[in-house]
Amino acid sequence: MATRHISGEQMAAWAESLVPGSVARTDTFACYLKQDQLRETMAALRVSPESDLVYLVNLCGVDYWDHLEVVYHLHSLVKNHIGTFKVEVPDREKPSVQSVTSVWYGAWMQECEAYDMFGIQFEGHPNLKRILLWEGFPGWPLRKDFLSMPGGLQPGLNEFAGVSRRPEPPVRVVE
Amino acid sequence: MSPVTSEPFVINIGPQHPSTHGVFRIKATVDGERIVDAESVMGYLHRSIEKLAEERTYTQNIPFTDRTDYLSSMANNLGYCLAVEQLAGIGVPARAQAIRVIMSELQRLASHCMAVGAFANDTGAWQTPMMWAFRDREKIMDIFEMCSGARLTCNYMRIGGVAFDPPAGTFEEAVREVIRIFPPLIDDRADVLVENEIFVARTRGIGVLTAEMAINSSLTGPMLRGSGVAWDIRKADPYCGYEQYDFEIPIGYQGDCFDRFIVRLEEMRQSVKIIEQALDGLPGGPYKTEVPLSLRPPAGEAYARVEGARGELGYYVISDEGPAPYRFHIRPPSFINLTALKEMTVGGTVADAIVVLGSVDIIVGEVDR
Repeated sequence: MATRHISGEQMAAWAESLVPGSVARTDTFACYLKQDQLRETMAALRVSPESDLVYLVNLCGVDYWDHLEVVYHLHSLVKNHIGTFKVEVPDREKPSVQSVTSVWYGAWMQECEAYDMFGIQFEGHPNLKRILLWEGFPGWPLRKDFLSMPGGLQPGLNEFAGVSRRPEPPVRVVE
Repeated sequence: MSPVTSEPFVINIGPQHPSTHGVFRIKATVDGERIVDAESVMGYLHRSIEKLAEERTYTQNIPFTDRTDYLSSMANNLGYCLAVEQLAGIGVPARAQAIRVIMSELQRLASHCMAVGAFANDTGAWQTPMMWAFRDREKIMDIFEMCSGARLTCNYMRIGGVAFDPPAGTFEEAVREVIRIFPPLIDDRADVLVENEIFVARTRGIGVLTAEMAINSSLTGPMLRGSGVAWDIRKADPYCGYEQYDFEIPIGYQGDCFDRFIVRLEEMRQSVKIIEQALDGLPGGPYKTEVPLSLRPPAGEAYARVEGARGELGYYVISDEGPAPYRFHIRPPSFINLTALKEMTVGGTVADAIVVLGSVDIIVGEVDR
């Protein structure tokens, strides 16, 4: 029996019934939760017998230029369904999201990784630190505007001209 | 006379240490003999694969996946290809499905061979089981070389199928040979280790994780099954036609290092069973669908996972209709399995920590990416 993918509407209905006013919007792939009640909503979704999302499969950050996002893939082992929850983080300067480490212990290292790569502060994380890079590394490397390569070169698909998502570099220095 | 006092101090296990299976460090705080706190320090092998993948086409990214978990490259290739196929809506011919199953099960055999050998090494069975592992794995490496041209970093799966059709005749002969020789080799290992007093003393009751803790820590693979949770992606969310093969999910009941070892041994037996069924029913026909080299999937996202040798290996790919993935995220099983390292090591001795780390079976290339 294959895993059932829960629709965004279904997840929104669960979240809304457990914690009213917790859903920001939905789309075909995911249910977008509001930041301020995130931990409360997640904890309720974990224990509710209907959703039963006891297992955090995957947690990662995504950069969309104008905002950051944290993506949660949650799973029920008994009911065998998987759902995608997302949180939008509009503030790129000081991005901050509530940590879910107290709900799923497995989020610990994945939140550290999202902090390391995107600079997202997870409030309430027991020991948030850079995990793959060293403390003091300049910048957040998986953000789309992280472009510093040796010699000022830009990474990119030169052979697919005109499709780059990056802004044109002011000066291209080749050593 | 003043009473004997002790104060905690820090011992670094690694990064240059034969028992850390690569450049990985455990910062263990010990009080007397016992570990009171353990912290894993990683990143020595970080190559920013996720960033690099955003700059390359979907096809060009396949070799990167080899280099994450270099002991099970086929499973990594497969997970990524499944994600892109799901994203672009590409179908895979039946022959390619069966070849994929055979290859990923052979890879699991090879990887578990190494896991079991290295674990025995960590518990004090110095070198002999490790050398057996290398010897047995060689048969599988030969098959990979025959099909893909490479032994470790195979780069064999393609979006929509596999890279080459396996050579007619010799491939089947070689796989039959593996099916024939492996069950007695697994029994050999079991005979030497399972009832060995030293081995049992070093592993029984060490690094115990309850099922609840394992689920809460997002553990997968033999770690989760060793704790008694019968969860296997091949059964729960079958891909590549796994639902048509008959096999069982081995589970442990105590959640200690010994159970994880037993689960791995038993999984090897089940893998042989799957390979035999897949080879018997290997259909003819095309081995891949034609996919444009510069693939541009419709905007959207896909999360696909396979049961790799170390657990759930997931790929999360987001497309913005460009030639390269907008976001490429790997869910590495051994990275997340390390979450529970502290729970397993605290209370034990430093020698136990080595055994626990061996039972997690980390691949640092995958932990650091």
